[in-house]
Amino acid sequence: MDRLLSLIGSPILNMAMGSGKLFLLFIDSVIWLFRPPFRWKQLFKQIEFIGANSISVIILTGTFTGMVFAFQSYIGFHKFGAEYMVGTVVGLGMARELGPVLSAIMVAARAGSAITAEIGSMKVTEQIDALHSLAVDPVQYLVSPRILAGVIVMPLLNSIAVFCGVVGGYFVGVEILGINKTLYLQYMYQYVDLTDLYNGMVKSLVFGVILTLVGCYKGLNVGGGAEGVGKATTESVVLSCVLILVFDYILTAFMF
Amino acid sequence: MISDENVIIELKDVYKKFGKHEVHKGINIKIPQGGITVILGPSGTGKSVLLKEMMGLILPDSGEVTVDGVDITKASKVELVNVRKKFGMLFQNAALFDSMTVYENVAFPLREHTKLKESQIKELVLEKLKLVGLTNVENKMPSELSGGMRKRVGLARAIVLEPMIILYDEPTTGLDPIMKDVVDDLIYSTQKKLNITSVVISHDIDSAFKIADYMAMIYDGKTILNTTKEEFKNSDNPYVVQFINGSKDGPIKMF
Repeated sequence: MDRLLSLIGSPILNMAMGSGKLFLLFIDSVIWLFRPPFRWKQLFKQIEFIGANSISVIILTGTFTGMVFAFQSYIGFHKFGAEYMVGTVVGLGMARELGPVLSAIMVAARAGSAITAEIGSMKVTEQIDALHSLAVDPVQYLVSPRILAGVIVMPLLNSIAVFCGVVGGYFVGVEILGINKTLYLQYMYQYVDLTDLYNGMVKSLVFGVILTLVGCYKGLNVGGGAEGVGKATTESVVLSCVLILVFDYILTAFMF
Repeated sequence: MISDENVIIELKDVYKKFGKHEVHKGINIKIPQGGITVILGPSGTGKSVLLKEMMGLILPDSGEVTVDGVDITKASKVELVNVRKKFGMLFQNAALFDSMTVYENVAFPLREHTKLKESQIKELVLEKLKLVGLTNVENKMPSELSGGMRKRVGLARAIVLEPMIILYDEPTTGLDPIMKDVVDDLIYSTQKKLNITSVVISHDIDSAFKIADYMAMIYDGKTILNTTKEEFKNSDNPYVVQFINGSKDGPIKMF
């Protein structure tokens, strides 16, 4: 009986502990953001790494998602002759949901994993201890700039994804499927608001925190050599993606 | 015996557990100021943990760690940072930042903790690199260096802020006999030139006798002996005798 209880209990305890530590790391890194010295160089480097280097991936993801979305929604609307609504659905879907979520998942896979691998290998080669020994706080030096970079960069990447998605959807809808151009645009303008876009931006901000925070957390808690780094990298991507989807639901429910 | 005057680091009844594994079961060590203390012990007896406890990188479960009059187990975060500035540490594998060049590695502590101009930084960095016998490596990445060179860069980084205490974590492990001698000599001459306190963790008895002023031995989480080199050499403590002779028979059990 004891064993059964601990079998159920210990993963739950671990999870609670993990999320607590994650949150503490977040608080810590936010506090460090307001204490000098400010790490401008680190910040710009991370903005380049997380943001600028992700642009091509985001353009591809956004465009193809918009194109597929146009095809799929056309099937539905075609049944009752409302093909011109495809633009509205693509616009709404990209702005509110697919833009932020897909861009965040792509960046988590690309940059979040790299953050974990980088910090993790610093951990196993004692470089984190070396930072401590040189009286430099690793949270301030490594974590804060990455989280701030994530927050700055994700809404920008999101807007690229949304734009590309809408363009892709237009291309498929109007050029390939032959929907009336004027109606397509008119309905899209009419039903897609700036608030829909803001909605997605707020999500992007939160996702930017999640993927960088999880990346750093998993990296700082690597144990056991090169194998540990590999394991932590996988865990980091999985956890980031799960948290992104969970928070997507929570944020959607709040802003509904 | 080590007299109580001049003691700069003192560990008193230090206990530390990782999970169920007891690493330290009552460590008592005194490190006198100015001089080289070598702490010996078989592999895997928590020697590196000991160094990290001295710096406050790891906190003991119980016991006191006093550095220059401050008990770091009770120190605040700010005090701890100030205590750490008194230390330089050479890690086992040098722990150079591999995203930075050699120059940037050595300049890092200066850029973090001083307001020196870039020209002054350059002067200091080159001076320290020269002190450890390296020239024309400033622009190389750590991955391009050999193990011995990495250790020397690590040492240059550790001494660039001119700390009061330098900690060496197994400085000669994994080096060839000649490079071993070079590093030993480096530890010795650094201590004499800068007149600082050095603490060396090692299981290499030959180099220990070569450089030490004071010695300590730990085994099974406890201090076996902590005294001067002469007394250590002549000790009849069975643990010490077995370790010095490098014999598998005796009170120290590896299995």
